[in-house]
Amino acid sequence: MAETDLASDHLELYDNAVARRYFAKFDRIAPPLARVAAELETEGRLTRAELRILGGYLEGLAHSFRALSLKYLLTGRAEALLPNRLTIDRHESGFPVYQELLLMANDAQHALRNLQGMPSEAELKDRMIRQIVGELSVPTRLQFALSQRLYAEALIQGDLFWAQNDPEILWLREEAGRRIWLLSWAVYDSQINLPVVWLMEVADSGRVALAKDERRWPRVRAHLMAQSLAGLKLLTVATGFDTDFDDLHPLRLRRLHLGPMYSASFTLQSGPIGEVLAEARAPEGQDWALVWTIEDLEASGTTRAKSGWFGSVERQVYALDPFLGRGAETGATRTDRYVILPERPYQVLAERNPPGFRDVRKFVVGAGGRVISAR
Amino acid sequence: MADFDAQIRKSQEEVAKAQARISAVTARVEAARAKALAGEPEIDIENATLDDVRQHADLMNANIAELIMGLDDVTAGFSRDFDEMRSKTGWESFVGVFSRGKSESMRQERLRTASIDDKLQDLIAKSDVIVRLLQGQLDLLNDQKTRVEANLGDTLVERETTVAALESVRAEIAGMDPKIIELENRISVEQDAAARTRLETELAELNTRHNALVQDEQVKLAKSQTLERYIEKGKTWVDSLQNQAATQMVLINKLQTDTRQRVVLYDALTKSLKTAQQQDVAHRINEIGVKTDQEAQAAMAAIGTATNQRMAEMMEAHEDQMVFARKVLEQKAKADERFARRFAAIVEKHDKNLYGRE
Repeated sequence: MAETDLASDHLELYDNAVARRYFAKFDRIAPPLARVAAELETEGRLTRAELRILGGYLEGLAHSFRALSLKYLLTGRAEALLPNRLTIDRHESGFPVYQELLLMANDAQHALRNLQGMPSEAELKDRMIRQIVGELSVPTRLQFALSQRLYAEALIQGDLFWAQNDPEILWLREEAGRRIWLLSWAVYDSQINLPVVWLMEVADSGRVALAKDERRWPRVRAHLMAQSLAGLKLLTVATGFDTDFDDLHPLRLRRLHLGPMYSASFTLQSGPIGEVLAEARAPEGQDWALVWTIEDLEASGTTRAKSGWFGSVERQVYALDPFLGRGAETGATRTDRYVILPERPYQVLAERNPPGFRDVRKFVVGAGGRVISAR
Repeated sequence: MADFDAQIRKSQEEVAKAQARISAVTARVEAARAKALAGEPEIDIENATLDDVRQHADLMNANIAELIMGLDDVTAGFSRDFDEMRSKTGWESFVGVFSRGKSESMRQERLRTASIDDKLQDLIAKSDVIVRLLQGQLDLLNDQKTRVEANLGDTLVERETTVAALESVRAEIAGMDPKIIELENRISVEQDAAARTRLETELAELNTRHNALVQDEQVKLAKSQTLERYIEKGKTWVDSLQNQAATQMVLINKLQTDTRQRVVLYDALTKSLKTAQQQDVAHRINEIGVKTDQEAQAAMAAIGTATNQRMAEMMEAHEDQMVFARKVLEQKAKADERFARRFAAIVEKHDKNLYGRE
């Protein structure tokens, strides 16, 4: 009898060892990412300003993961105290699900108040020793209390990657009497459960500078946040923005998907990457591959469009991928994929040389977090 | 939502009251044990007290169950959002009478700024408030249960020792009987006055000891009975605590499954609606610009194939969502069933919309 396929892409991590291993993996993945970003900058793929912004988001992401790891430190050991467990998306993501970030944002609101009611770290440790020596038992309850205290402290410290990271604005230069701004924002996309960084270069022909414009800036922020969906093509987002703001002209829009993370032990994957990871049989800590996608959309010219009965406004025309067919499909000028992986899986990948991976740039993470770029 | 906040406050009060009562009963159970051990007159934990606690816990849970169902009303706003995304507002329709293009572009602009992220965060926050409430109650119940259970364990040992002592006293008494009979017989046949006096003294001592033992037996028996009664009450109380904890767990489970399902479904619905409504329009707009371009022909042809591909992709993407949605629905069905078993009465009232009219 064929049973209903219940394979869902959300996976709850019940076991303490599993949850800790998951976070340990991200602890290892995080440091080389900054180096990969720096490498992209030296190659001219990212500008200096963009690198700084991206570095900030990567750091935030690492902090968020650290906070989550503290929150779920006692998963499986203090079931009665912590009703929820870490849920990750194991299909084409490997990251925690969107709701984890919403919950974290919610926890952050209570963090300060909760912290005031908690005993200090030293006191908790003192009590733990008393219980271990005095009662000869494992102080699970105290350990849980301490983990929650550290979690709250991490939340208060801030500098985290949230489900929504509001747009920030940076002045770049002046060109033909227009101010050029770099807008950057990031979301944790709820559909694909991945962190996504957006960067937009925009020419501003308004009278008041956008950063100081009380009227336009809040509207721009709301518009950009509402439009940051992974399902939308860059072209759709850019033309939508262009239409809604007559005196703002998006020159360039880029979107960076900082994932998915593949791992033979945590995620389900099909295709070459799955085989590579399975065959590598990498030891703990080396069993992962991270894929970054950078999409670019550039304006190639302008046109005038009718607005109302008499006026007309400038509209951007975007250059799509010159290769036949692919341009309209991706809605971007160019799309680059990068795969970041440790030595062992890379060796297998190089040996097998699967067709889809030939034009994907590879970054190999070696011992000590050294990053080597390979073609 | 003022309603929700008011209801939360009400539930918090109920929980506080219930917790005070539960703690009071545990304190009584503990006091009863202390008295029983000291052999002092026992405190009776009337069944009425237990019933009272149970009744109050039911009331509290009904309140919280009502609160969980109230989240339905919070999320009712979502479906209004969906409708608004699909259709035009009154003003847009009115403008449409004069200019269809203008009306459509107004709708598109509204669609682009539409976002339910704040609502999702709000839903998570509200659901979290309830989970905290339930979790607090569950912690207290588990805490009390461990305390009473530990006491109960000690008391069981205590009772065993008491019963063992009682047995040995009884054995000693039984062992004394033949000795007394023998002494009495010897006294009746003894001729020598001195020897007789000695035997009589011995008998008197033996009798004193016998009486003491019998008295001891009574005391031990009483103690054992008291402890037994205490154990019975304690067990009932542990059962009751256990049952209440199970109820809390069912509520937490139901709430978490519900919230997860809601967030996933509403999010998927809004975003796919938003994507589907915009994507083709953007291409049409860009085409106008591209037309002036010499390379237009190739791109135009590509759009046709790309659209088909896009549709196929979208269908595939939906398949994933469907599988997940089905899984969540099944989990929800399970959680619902457990929930319904416990809260049949409230569900019925809610369905008939009887609340708030009493």
